[in-house]
Amino acid sequence: MIIRWVCEKDNKKWLYPIEKCIYCKGPITKQKGKKSKIMGITKVNIPSPMHPIIPYHVMLLEDEHGNRIPKKTMREHKIGKEYVVERAKKNDAVIITKIKYDLKEALNESLGLLNSYEIKENDKVLIKPSIIEPAYSYQAVNTNPKLLDALINYLKEKGVKDIIVAEQAMLGNDVMVSAKKAGILDVCKNQNVNFVDLSKTDYDETEHDGFKFRVAKEILERKIINIPVMKINSQIGVSGAMENMIRVVDEETHKKMFVDDIEKTLPKLIKTLPKFLTVGDATMGMQGQGPTLLGEPAFLNILFVSKNPVALDAVFSEAGMLKTPEYIEKAGEMGIGNNDTKNMEIVGDELDAIKYRLKAAEKGCTAHPNIKLIDGKSNSYMFNSALKITSKLVGLLGYELHLVIGTQLTKDMLKGKERVVAYGKDAIQKVNDLGVKVLAEISEDIDDLEKVVLLKGVLEDPKKKRITQVDKVKSKLAKFGGKIKKSF
Amino acid sequence: MYVKGVGMTKFGVHSKTSQELCYDAIMEALDDADMQLSEVDEIIIAKGDSINDGERQRMFPGVLSSILGDLEIPVIRVTAACSGGGAAFWNGVNSKHKNTLVVGIEKLTPMPTKKITDDLMMASERIYEQTEGLSFPAQNALIAQQYMMKYNVSSDDLALVALKNHENAFNNPKARFYGKKVTLDMIRKSPVVASPLRLFDCSISVDGGAAAIISTDKTDIEVVGSSLYTDRLPAFEAESMTSWQATKLAAKEAYMQAGITSEEVNFAEIHDAFTPVELISYEDLGFAKEGEGKKLIKKGITKINGKMPVNSSGGLKAKGHPVSATGISQIYEIVKQMRKESGKRQIDKTKIGLAQNIGGVGSTVTTHILKHVGG
Repeated sequence: MIIRWVCEKDNKKWLYPIEKCIYCKGPITKQKGKKSKIMGITKVNIPSPMHPIIPYHVMLLEDEHGNRIPKKTMREHKIGKEYVVERAKKNDAVIITKIKYDLKEALNESLGLLNSYEIKENDKVLIKPSIIEPAYSYQAVNTNPKLLDALINYLKEKGVKDIIVAEQAMLGNDVMVSAKKAGILDVCKNQNVNFVDLSKTDYDETEHDGFKFRVAKEILERKIINIPVMKINSQIGVSGAMENMIRVVDEETHKKMFVDDIEKTLPKLIKTLPKFLTVGDATMGMQGQGPTLLGEPAFLNILFVSKNPVALDAVFSEAGMLKTPEYIEKAGEMGIGNNDTKNMEIVGDELDAIKYRLKAAEKGCTAHPNIKLIDGKSNSYMFNSALKITSKLVGLLGYELHLVIGTQLTKDMLKGKERVVAYGKDAIQKVNDLGVKVLAEISEDIDDLEKVVLLKGVLEDPKKKRITQVDKVKSKLAKFGGKIKKSF
Repeated sequence: MYVKGVGMTKFGVHSKTSQELCYDAIMEALDDADMQLSEVDEIIIAKGDSINDGERQRMFPGVLSSILGDLEIPVIRVTAACSGGGAAFWNGVNSKHKNTLVVGIEKLTPMPTKKITDDLMMASERIYEQTEGLSFPAQNALIAQQYMMKYNVSSDDLALVALKNHENAFNNPKARFYGKKVTLDMIRKSPVVASPLRLFDCSISVDGGAAAIISTDKTDIEVVGSSLYTDRLPAFEAESMTSWQATKLAAKEAYMQAGITSEEVNFAEIHDAFTPVELISYEDLGFAKEGEGKKLIKKGITKINGKMPVNSSGGLKAKGHPVSATGISQIYEIVKQMRKESGKRQIDKTKIGLAQNIGGVGSTVTTHILKHVGG
């Protein structure tokens, strides 16, 4: 759709949303074209980092108001023909929509391209954003509050009255603090919509293939709209439609899902949940060491929408030219959804036309250049909390050490690693079982400040063979000092 | 205002750094003006902001201050993508200082083509153009197509523009294609970059620097017209995609300042980043009626021995296009022609010369009219 913002008085036009005319200060009308015609097309044979696949075509489209836009396509088109974007025919289609300055319009357009999406006035809707740690919206860690706002407006326009926004933190973070910093709470307040911390709600048991999940009742009882930030996840490949639903189970289930291999348990979880719609938030999107603040915004400006989370995640992986994560392939094998993008209905923008190589995650990388992470399939709480501790040591000099986590550590993973610190009871148990000598064993149950002080002691002293009782006392004192400081 | 001296490096692939290229161009301009650096009151530098050129050097005014020593004068930088040089010259002409040194510099060849394409694409609109794959060749291809359909212009007409400019560059020792024979057949058979544009319809990215000293002291070259206009960044937003408003406005103002009409211009250096842009510019500058630009090239009017020679230097097409240096190199060519120092490509009538420099697709346009007033 071609959109212009037009001054009602003098017909001046803007490509960007503006509130009033800067010349006459008069009101602005949004002018939307109903039909667009192909005025020109060029076949481009030179690649660039943003457009790596050649040849591609760029059409020049013009609507009935004479407004024009360029549009990239991989297909041949004929000059003079009408350009039509067809609605999806299949239930598991994925809609790709590039955002052209107007998020609300992009959202409405995306939802309108679904083959069907029924929303009734008396539906009880739960919007599930990604809120994982305190971060500003521009950091792409949490769902863009503007998208949440646009979605609530959409639902209200459909007459829906009972809407809640629900999430829980599994990172040792308070979800309310994170939601506040992300701007999510402000949107909820302005829209008069409740924000619910799922960890404080009741859970019900569901089961698939022998695995029992304790899932928040609200999730089972409401119509869910999932709005994850689309990211690279340095642990499991991609955070998106499927991964965002991990945080609808209780903490115990969450941990067990990793112990029993997240690649298999995540598809099982999706299988047990009621069907849900996903609006993948790639208004920014994240690349690099996601999904936490270690990642970086990718500035994608895209929405991915689908009623099938597997298909949506598969499309995002391919759009970012990433290796498809194992759990997505597994979900495909289990028949939960189509993970084969070549045999999938993709509507709106074309997948090949948006392909752009996202910066991949570096395995074992932490915030501190001298601390390497060895992950034996730990749960995401341990993974992210390990990264969080290392981030507190940035700026300190150090000597290379390996922080090991997870239940699936092997001798091969630890081979040749001299300075090893086991973090969390799973890793401590595992290194003991394997007979690996470690510099320190740090429990996940102690205070964050204690963890940081213990790790600091090992990081800074290359001669240290083992943390001592004195180090432990020092860390307790640091925690105590921190508490006194806080109380003032 | 007058042009006191000009300097220019050879345009091409250089092993020299941006600093060295700058130094060389400035030195030649100072020698040409028979001036000391201490007589310069202000420096305006045009340079892009690439992080891909292998130099990773921003704050070029400071760099210039370092390489030129204890200047104790203002040094400022202007950027306007491909019209950076023209914009720097325009600022110099409109300066309050007695002697202003303007210099344009760019180093592009260390970048692979992919990166150059990407780097230049950053001068287009990010949401509607960059994300839709509108690299500069693609943008100009869409313009070319509209122009060709509207006025029945053929690829062969465009090829004549390339051929003419390559013939001129053959005789310009400072051009990238100096001494290199390019035939019509080579142009016609060159690969398609973005249809309908072929490789030889596109200017060539090179390294290079150019400098000029603008002064209130009377010299043999007077700047009688100087204008700069800016239009919306995306070309598709313009009412007409085949006629560029900023060029028309800049030309109108420059002619008015000079007190002349387009017919009185003897020769011109035009921003032929792509061959159709030269034809469109013939019309927007008033050298041809709308839609009749092709007549000038077909009849040989803009050839070096024609009635109205255009791009005697070889233009961006064959002299080369080191982005921010281009606009000042056009001034260099005009000055050299007026002084009858252009050797085999010397034009007969060189009383009034025009330089047109464009940034983006018709977004920032400068027009300068120079007059030979004696000597």
